[in-house]
Amino acid sequence: MTGPGGNTDATKTTSYKVVLPFYGYASFAFFIATALLFLSISNITTHYFHPHSLALTHIMALGWGTMMILGASHQLVPVLIEGKLFSNKLAFTSFVLAAVGVPLLCYGFYMFDMGWPAKWGGRFVILAIIAYLINVAVSMARSKHENVHAVFVFTATLWLLVTALIGLILVYNFSYPLIRGSSLHYLPLHAHIGVIGWFLLLIMGVGSRLISMFLISKYNKPKRLWLIYGLVNVGLVAFIFNFLYADSKLIQMISILAIATAIILFVNYCYRSYKQRIRKRVDEQMKVSLLSVLMMLIPVVFLIVILVLFFLSDKENTRMIISYGFIIFFGWITAIILGMTFKTLPFIVWNKVYHHLAGKGKTPNPKDLFNNTVFKYMTLIYIFGFLLFIPGILLNSTFILQTAALLLVITAGLYNWNVIKLLMHKPVSK
Amino acid sequence: MNVISNNKLKSTIALAALQNVMDPEIGLNIVDLGLVYQIDFDESEKKIYCTMTLTTQFCPMGESITNAAKESLKLGFPEYEPNIKLTFDPPWNHEMISEAGQDFLNEM
Repeated sequence: MTGPGGNTDATKTTSYKVVLPFYGYASFAFFIATALLFLSISNITTHYFHPHSLALTHIMALGWGTMMILGASHQLVPVLIEGKLFSNKLAFTSFVLAAVGVPLLCYGFYMFDMGWPAKWGGRFVILAIIAYLINVAVSMARSKHENVHAVFVFTATLWLLVTALIGLILVYNFSYPLIRGSSLHYLPLHAHIGVIGWFLLLIMGVGSRLISMFLISKYNKPKRLWLIYGLVNVGLVAFIFNFLYADSKLIQMISILAIATAIILFVNYCYRSYKQRIRKRVDEQMKVSLLSVLMMLIPVVFLIVILVLFFLSDKENTRMIISYGFIIFFGWITAIILGMTFKTLPFIVWNKVYHHLAGKGKTPNPKDLFNNTVFKYMTLIYIFGFLLFIPGILLNSTFILQTAALLLVITAGLYNWNVIKLLMHKPVSK
Repeated sequence: MNVISNNKLKSTIALAALQNVMDPEIGLNIVDLGLVYQIDFDESEKKIYCTMTLTTQFCPMGESITNAAKESLKLGFPEYEPNIKLTFDPPWNHEMISEAGQDFLNEM
């Protein structure tokens, strides 16, 4: 044990002032995305390169998924690296840059105006990522403890930067011929680096720590996580190499196999964490998060079907590709955020409001700061909406699609209701 | 987990006071969770030194938990000045949870 003095610095967490704007912004972006989905349903399901599809995908990927992850990770990175976040100012800079850049970029896509809005939007987003990357890198360098979870986060951020740089090149390619071929050709490269390199790697790295931490699990196998890390990165590098230089079906299959194996190993890791948990009762928020882990398998199945159909007919199946994208953004990524928001945000708000009252009197439990009944309805409506949307795309039924989209708008409304309730919480003494 | 102390009797009272401090995420008090390692009393200076840990370093609730521990000790021993020392050596693990704590987590 340490002697007198101890390590009081280890209680200093990232300021709520830095983290809360990310949560508020991301929640609003989710509502906008579902509203756009509902209002532009016929355009969005036409082709994945339709301006509205591009706008929607980027609102979901950047405004919702990335903003939420950036916000939560500013709070979680210190837990992962067992060290302080380098700079709150840099974190806030990252927020401001992304908050300005994302709407500009999405407006550019929506209007299909690849002029200044898309270009400046892309530049701001890249600067926001660089600010975040510097913050994570310096925090990691200053911390004495290195662990696999932090390496996942750092590598994922590097892939995010690569994704954004490719995205900006694709935007510029509309004005100046920077690369051979059309921007449409490079879209799968841009999308897969973003989904696998950023979202998959980051969710695996943070999820393996959080799921185990919240369940108080005995299961802890860093070597297994290193294997998963290696498989994802090898698979992604093989995919990029094949896309740019080889165009070999064998390399393509190897890359898919490596990433699919990593996903199966990660699902198994979470299952073992669940089985070896000490805390027997699993709350609603953890159930949704665990459901999202299972949802990771669905895009893999869809990708295999898409490739098999492509090999057989030599033609892209647009409906399957749109379903694939929908499952990733509205399924897997959304489910984990819906669950994890209410495992993290109530504690951040509680710390903000009741921190000075700790131990001085009765205060409400962080779990009581949001409405759990609303959360349960939100989860049910979300699952119905999500499940209904896929047959809607595959059957090309406007009625099914609009019904499903409306359910997702309601999901986003209920989610925002609970988030606003949390953000506006005022002190209540019991 | 056995809590080390230079005053067994007073440490029993201190632990009873610290049982009012909850980890809000888990819903279990910090004593049964095994976060309290040592409680020493300095009679000449009228100080209490409580050495404790957190389930994880830089836990977002860390400062609130240590503040609550300090306030509880103040309430239990108004004539003493409590000092909280945070340590991560050894780091907390699930084996430090008391039998009562294990039962609580099994039932909840």
